[in-house]
Amino acid sequence: MHIMEGFLPVEHALGWSLASAPFLAWGVHSVRRQLQAQPEQRMLLGVAAAFAFVLSALKLPSVTGSCSHPTGVGLGALLFGPLAMVPVGFVVLLFQALLLAHGGLTTLGANVFSMAIVGPFVAFGLFRLGRRCGLSLAVCVFAAACLGDLATYLTTAIQLAWAFPDPAGGFAASLLKFGGIFAITQIPLAISEGLLTVLVVNTLTRFNAQELQGLPLFAVNGGKA
Amino acid sequence: MLIEQAAYANRWRGVSPAAKAAFALAGLLAAFAAVSPGAALRLALCSAMLTCVGAGVPAGLYLRVAAPAVGFLALSCVGLLLALDPDSGWRWAPEAWPQVAALAGRSLAALAALLGLVLTTPLSDLIALLRRLRCPAVLLDLMVLCYRMLFIFSQAVHEVRTAQQARLGDATLRHSLRSLGQLTANLALQVWQRAQALHLAALARNGDGSLRFLTPQFAHAGRDTALAVLAGGGLLILARWAS
Repeated sequence: MHIMEGFLPVEHALGWSLASAPFLAWGVHSVRRQLQAQPEQRMLLGVAAAFAFVLSALKLPSVTGSCSHPTGVGLGALLFGPLAMVPVGFVVLLFQALLLAHGGLTTLGANVFSMAIVGPFVAFGLFRLGRRCGLSLAVCVFAAACLGDLATYLTTAIQLAWAFPDPAGGFAASLLKFGGIFAITQIPLAISEGLLTVLVVNTLTRFNAQELQGLPLFAVNGGKA
Repeated sequence: MLIEQAAYANRWRGVSPAAKAAFALAGLLAAFAAVSPGAALRLALCSAMLTCVGAGVPAGLYLRVAAPAVGFLALSCVGLLLALDPDSGWRWAPEAWPQVAALAGRSLAALAALLGLVLTTPLSDLIALLRRLRCPAVLLDLMVLCYRMLFIFSQAVHEVRTAQQARLGDATLRHSLRSLGQLTANLALQVWQRAQALHLAALARNGDGSLRFLTPQFAHAGRDTALAVLAGGGLLILARWAS
């Protein structure tokens, strides 16, 4: 769910852009250092950004019958790490604004914060926590993708509730309102995306094990599922 | 992609991207500076007319591109008109009308400014403009590669989806999810394969640095930018003008 162009008041649009800027700078710095050490990763991240863009255009079937698009937040964070996902997510969200008119330039900061910062960091953190607790790879991947997705939408609901508090109940009522609207559609979709990510990771481990060895997904617990 | 079709086939294709970006920036500023919802709606109408009549973007295509964002706006406005009262529960909130009207006007004006830019300017021109504006090279490389590869991936998705649908891959919810999982996983495999092929191709040409391409030259860039600044000033005046 992208916040559309011009939707946020100017102070919120600027505030979320300022909040996202340090993470973007950190991500760019991290990717630059990574590229100095491994120049072959330059092409990989660019191609991964295209993959994320195309993934976001796929229709995701949901158990409620509604249809939406995968965010790819969890999968991207597990494959490339949450820091690399900040510049990659920024580029994908910018392209979605410029090529599809989804999101916008003034709301780019807010959308980057929810989809390229909160979602990937939550997904990656949960995955590592789950693996350290000895949970199976499938359970960890499902939890990371599903809850990373929900964290993204919860952040968007907070952004909207903060910008547009309810006339009667203030921020809390507005959060309940936006969160409730998102919950109806997003909880089934997050479950679908979690299942989808497990299927993807299963296929990758079967057919792409060699290339995955150096990635964060396999860096934990020695890469054993 | 509808936006790309219009961006390459409109009358303002030869206008400097800097001029169009300056005009869009003025449109966005004007949307936030609008004194009333009516002024914002006038701005939106003015920008849309300029894009459709001036640049020759078909009105039907314009509406199709704008429809999802307008749908989001309509749903959000309905949500904002509902208040959650701690005592009486859900109720209509007529007191929120001024806020909703201002929000709708501002969003439509800003959307029209964005569409005016993206429907008349190919993304490759915008990336070249960002390079001139000293955007970090890492981000530019990501953008260049992403832009060039996304059409290849889109073609691969189209072909795989066609093959899956021909084999009843969407017959049930379970089949749909499985098909989508296989499609995504196969695409993910291609990320490594294509990246490796691109890296080898670049190395074979001594390409180990930033990705640079020839950028188109615009003969009347100075004149275009001056006109865009004047027109943008007009939009700002329109935004502040309350009739």
